[in-house]
Amino acid sequence: MAKIELSNISHSYNPNDLNPTYALNPFSMIWENGKRYAILGPSGCGKTTMLNIVSGLVKPSKGNVLFDDNDVTNLITEERNIAQVFQFPVIYSTMTVFDNLAFPLRCRNFSEEKIEERVKSVSDTLRLSTFLNMPARKLTADQKQLISLGRGLVREDVAAVLMDEPLTVIDPDLKFRLRRNLKEINEEYKTTLVYVTHDQNEAMTFADNIIVMDQGEIVQVGLPKDLFERPKTTFVGYFIGSPAMNLFETQLHSDNSVKINDTTIKTNTNLSKLKNNNIKLGIRSEFVKVAKDESENLLEVNIQKIEDFGNFKLLTAKMGQLTIKSKINRETEISNNTIKLHFPAEKCCVYQNNKLI
Amino acid sequence: MEKLYKFLKYTFIILWTVFIVAPFLWAVSTSFKDFQSVNSKVTYIPWLDFEPTLEGWRVLVKSPARGGVDIVEPYFNSIFVTCTASLISIILGTLAAYALSRFTFKAGFVRNNDITFFFISQRIMPPIVLSIPFFIFLSTIGLLDSLLGLVVVYIVLLMPIAVWIMVDFFNRVPKELDETALIDGCNPYQAFYKVVLPNSIPGLIVAGMFCIIFGWIDFFFAFILTFTEVQLLPVKVVALNSSITPWWSLSASALISVAPLIIVAFVVERYLSKGNLSGALK
Repeated sequence: MAKIELSNISHSYNPNDLNPTYALNPFSMIWENGKRYAILGPSGCGKTTMLNIVSGLVKPSKGNVLFDDNDVTNLITEERNIAQVFQFPVIYSTMTVFDNLAFPLRCRNFSEEKIEERVKSVSDTLRLSTFLNMPARKLTADQKQLISLGRGLVREDVAAVLMDEPLTVIDPDLKFRLRRNLKEINEEYKTTLVYVTHDQNEAMTFADNIIVMDQGEIVQVGLPKDLFERPKTTFVGYFIGSPAMNLFETQLHSDNSVKINDTTIKTNTNLSKLKNNNIKLGIRSEFVKVAKDESENLLEVNIQKIEDFGNFKLLTAKMGQLTIKSKINRETEISNNTIKLHFPAEKCCVYQNNKLI
Repeated sequence: MEKLYKFLKYTFIILWTVFIVAPFLWAVSTSFKDFQSVNSKVTYIPWLDFEPTLEGWRVLVKSPARGGVDIVEPYFNSIFVTCTASLISIILGTLAAYALSRFTFKAGFVRNNDITFFFISQRIMPPIVLSIPFFIFLSTIGLLDSLLGLVVVYIVLLMPIAVWIMVDFFNRVPKELDETALIDGCNPYQAFYKVVLPNSIPGLIVAGMFCIIFGWIDFFFAFILTFTEVQLLPVKVVALNSSITPWWSLSASALISVAPLIIVAFVVERYLSKGNLSGALK
């Protein structure tokens, strides 16, 4: 277990070309000991590259990797004592399940008693105990992935367990249980867990801290609540949450208000220093409500459709060319075709050039 | 319709089996005939059509001094040369293939694929092109007409096959397997022989089988590069022929020449059909 520090890291897969393209743009980050981190982002945004840099499978073009303030940039994977689980199950198909789980310990010359004890403990957690003597290749895909995971967890002293979309091949029920297991393991052993995913729900429910990436950039690092309520860029607003954040092109109106079409919307943001170009207003559909007795921040809209999702209704409305989505209670009855929607000022985010003000 | 399909299927299978097995039966039966039974009239069934004799087989083990041809020594020569050359080719070829599959090589315009192609191109060339260089090479280093010289030449011939098969095989072994082994605490060499190699046994067996077959059946180089000291089986079998073709001993020698390959085929088939090849990694 260790504090992991990435200092001015950047990476290019073609560093010697005239115009190298960067899979990761320069960034610095610290992963605290014993915490759970999720790296979230669309495919090809550099998530896996970042993990491989930490585990040593990829040497960064620039920058340093530090474990507990020791520079490990030039150490090979074997010497870093790190565990990594890949998206697809990787098992040693010629070995039994027990030997698979014992392999990382045997490579490090642990005593047989210790191996026995650790394998038993991990296989109990992952419910693999009944398969220990079976050839690993005879197991189903999700059981194989449990073996991969088990090999990551069997060493108690790893600096961190890195997981690259590990639950993709596992069915939803087991996925839920495993996520809880991983949390328990993290709480019990204080292992730093880093979890790459493109599934925001997975990230939100699993991690203490979420790192959102896009096109080799780290866009935002924060608590799930911050990411949801105050996305730092329009990308985060769009990527996190379902449906995506409502975003409107707007004009500045006063020091704290903007205009959508002809309607003035007040915000809690100081807009006095902004230039009036490329301004957007963002608000989560969760916070857009059907107006009751509010007197300002109201938009008159035409309802396009109302979808019932069981636990909520999703209302899609139009105001001129703008589409607005709102999550409303199931009980809310709407009789008119034209209604007023209320935007609470404290929930409105203002963006200039797609960055939060 | 279903019945007709079954009928046609089984008819085809039976015809095909006959087509494959008949030459063997013919050779077995001929190997027990004498001059009279082969040349006078058509005979099929021993004891009814002709009186079986072991003469065709006896000739093969008798020394030339006593009127035999003695293929025992060439037989063991062939086994030695084929097995040694195959083994060395597989070891070197597997290492080369692993490197070609996992590392990126650059030398001027040459890349990994070009190197692989260079190996395969050794087999594209007609063997006759190589005969003179090999002859000069072996005579220069004094290995002409020796088992060691043949082993060297056969390694050159067999290693491309091993490289070719194993590169393809390693390319299908996911890179994550090596990476996982590294993460689990192996160094790169341990990752290769503890994890990747055991997973590649089916590939090794296929490559080994091809090496053995191509080594065993080679006549051309065995004929050109040996004279009197050393002889390999295919050369000796051909040398059996004379003005009166000895069909009986030719049949017998053909049968014992093909026997090792049949054994290899059965062993390999057993092993491959165990399912080790499929779904092992994902």
